[in-house]
Amino acid sequence: MNFKGTLPTLILEALAHEPCHGYRIAQQIKERSQGVLDFKEGTLYPALHKLENEGLVESYEGVEKGRPRRYYRITRSGHKVLSKDRAEWRQLSQAVTVILGEA
Amino acid sequence: MSQMQSSSMRSPSIHSSLNPSSLNQNLPNLNDWLHQATRHLSKDSVAQVRAEIQEHYESARDTAINGGATADEADRSALLALGDAKTANCQYRNVMLTSGEAKLLRESQWESRAVCSRPWLKWLLLTMPAAALWASAALFLTGKSELARTLLVGGITLLLAFGAPFLPIYTPARARIFRRVKYALLLATFALVFGKNVLDWSWLLACSVWPLFWIEWTRTSIRRKLPEARWPKHLYL
Repeated sequence: MNFKGTLPTLILEALAHEPCHGYRIAQQIKERSQGVLDFKEGTLYPALHKLENEGLVESYEGVEKGRPRRYYRITRSGHKVLSKDRAEWRQLSQAVTVILGEA
Repeated sequence: MSQMQSSSMRSPSIHSSLNPSSLNQNLPNLNDWLHQATRHLSKDSVAQVRAEIQEHYESARDTAINGGATADEADRSALLALGDAKTANCQYRNVMLTSGEAKLLRESQWESRAVCSRPWLKWLLLTMPAAALWASAALFLTGKSELARTLLVGGITLLLAFGAPFLPIYTPARARIFRRVKYALLLATFALVFGKNVLDWSWLLACSVWPLFWIEWTRTSIRRKLPEARWPKHLYL
């Protein structure tokens, strides 16, 4: 399914519960959407860097199973943006549902 | 993902296929992907992208192998999941420094260091525009307006070029105001030099000003890509 433009919000949502590395974020999005939101994982990191540049997430070095990993965690402004995005999405999806429901 | 999960039932002794030789055989594919995805990026950006994609690739590969795929299948699925390298390259170039931007940043830092490490040069650069502006004012008062105009243009140009790094501009808001003033002054300078013929000489203006615009364009791109905390002083100007 094409979900262009919503990837940053999905990343923030994936990070809202706990810090994750890139691969785990990709898996979370796919698992939580039950495979519906399937995206090319090479595009995940540019989106993560953009969020980091905007101060919505921050990264740090960690280790998982003896392998160094870059972990990402959501910042306070990231939480604010996520709340705003959630509200906007609810409004948008309700409006689309109303329109499509009429057809 | 579901392909990986379903294949977990098929081969129980999958770790036997994960050996260094099979990894090496498949590295050129990932290397090709990385080469394509990191085109025109700066050295630091390339290193960062390579590290994160390799981490990701290895995790995807391990998951596939733990799920029952053979090493070859795991390599293929991990690479396939990354998607098109050209698309990734476009996206990386939008958020990470390119080689051209890194060069501009490096050269500007070198200039700043060169000035700051020589106090006599710093004072010379500060006094030159001030002297030119004072001289211009004095010449205007004595009626030598032609020479005064030349000195005024020179003074403004020197002030913009060399005086700016010494101004207290440390916030994006101040930087935006400074840049607006800078371009207003530049336009005023051109109007002063060419007077009513400014439009006739627009081709010369375009030729001489485009490097400035190119630098400004590149700096705008760098500002977008670097978090504010990592901005060097000259990026505010």
